[in-house]
Amino acid sequence: MLKEKLQKFFKIDRRWIFLLLAIILFIPIIKPIGLPNKTISKDAQHAYDFMDKLPANSFVLFSLDYDPSTRPELHPQAIAVIRHAFSKNLRVGVVTYIAGATGLIGQIFEKIPQEYKKENGRDYVIFPYMANSVAVLTQMSSDLYGIYDKDQDGKDARTLPVMQGIKTYKDMALVVNITGTSMLDVWVAYVGDKYKVPVIGGVTAISQPGYGPYLQTGQLKGMLGGMKGAAEYESLIKTPGKGTSGIDALNLANLLVLVLILTSNIILLIIRYL
Amino acid sequence: MSETWMIIGGWVSAGLTIFLFSFLYKDNPFFKVAEHLYLGAGMGWWFQVYTYNILGPKVWTPLMAHDWMVLIPSILGISLVTQFFPKISWMSRYGFTFLMGYGSGLAIPAGLSTDFLNQIGGTISPFASLHTMSAFSIFNSLLVAVGVVCVLFYFFFSIEHKGSVKKISNVGIYFLMVYFGAAFGNTVMARFSLLYGRFDDLYSFSSQRYFYASQIILAAMAAYFLLHGLLGKKKDSEEAA
Repeated sequence: MLKEKLQKFFKIDRRWIFLLLAIILFIPIIKPIGLPNKTISKDAQHAYDFMDKLPANSFVLFSLDYDPSTRPELHPQAIAVIRHAFSKNLRVGVVTYIAGATGLIGQIFEKIPQEYKKENGRDYVIFPYMANSVAVLTQMSSDLYGIYDKDQDGKDARTLPVMQGIKTYKDMALVVNITGTSMLDVWVAYVGDKYKVPVIGGVTAISQPGYGPYLQTGQLKGMLGGMKGAAEYESLIKTPGKGTSGIDALNLANLLVLVLILTSNIILLIIRYL
Repeated sequence: MSETWMIIGGWVSAGLTIFLFSFLYKDNPFFKVAEHLYLGAGMGWWFQVYTYNILGPKVWTPLMAHDWMVLIPSILGISLVTQFFPKISWMSRYGFTFLMGYGSGLAIPAGLSTDFLNQIGGTISPFASLHTMSAFSIFNSLLVAVGVVCVLFYFFFSIEHKGSVKKISNVGIYFLMVYFGAAFGNTVMARFSLLYGRFDDLYSFSSQRYFYASQIILAAMAAYFLLHGLLGKKKDSEEAA
């Protein structure tokens, strides 16, 4: 009798689980619960420390290679790291090899620079989208202006104050690549390892475990993984954003999965051995 | 962007999100519309990207400035299209030959150095400085080295897996399982993050500023499914009669 009742659990219409998940994810959006995010991963801490120790006026190149499909995870990461760079008075250059990123980059630089009183051309520069990343990255090693002679507004890149003294990778203090693709492998292989430029990565949670070897060997100086990585960096710079607010929803959803896995396994054991 | 366009954008975004999510309940024409629109818009988007970001600045503008050198890569690129015409498809070999040579030349040394030599170095080098390491770091380095060896044994198929080789490769399986478990857990978390992102946008579009786009579209979809269900039942009972 009990067995039959319990077996019904495995015949639940999966749409009820979808609905439950939707409710669980929606609640923190409507009313944030404020679950604590107390753990800061070693990789996020290393990324923060590396950026934090850079002397003011150093040039940091951001390669923001993500499109709207990975925006919820990577956009908060990019915002947090760019905030940190501006707060440390670092010079910021932005490139992208994903055409869909141009609008998202525009969104970031519409608001963030104003908060830190940063000016386009003086404190930061945004370069236009370029296809064929490997060819571009290789060319940039000898002369950046061979590829990026103009910024995205058509201004001569050589004459911009932010670009003074910057010609090749050796003039850059750091490369930050935030990507939902395999661009980070390209940055590590063709730039980081080859020209000894420090590289920090920001990737989706799916890709995160695959970059463990690069972190262990020091080929990556630090890394942010998924929305959790964004929340960690927001905690480190003490500026909560979309990453921090998303942690509530993620914690609850992960808890739901855990409860469902445990419940179904316990029921399965009862059915089998009762 | 003007306020009107923002509102229209909000309605389109909320509508397409809800239409695509409606498939989780069951297949319906709204899902099909959103799916086809996605494909069509995607094609259009890439067409304009290639036209305005590659063809224009990299081919057309230099040609207009009498820079004839761009003709060489352009012709090599166009040769790839001859694949579609059997009589002249041999031309595509030149383009592919260039791509293969150029790609291999760049990728092989970089790959060997980054993913092969550096990784071997990273596995071995900690053992040269054991005296300076903490107990945990030594354990960590040993774990990595043992994991690498065991997994390599698992993928070594030139000798039969029996006896001690089998035991070592079985340990390799456990290392792989730990990796797959971590990867799967992260995948679940990533998917939730994406879902959260869409819900967050839907919540934004449910405000007065967007004239309650999310609520209205959601209610309309619910009404459609209700009506469709009721009409379907009526039709079934008529057919049965």
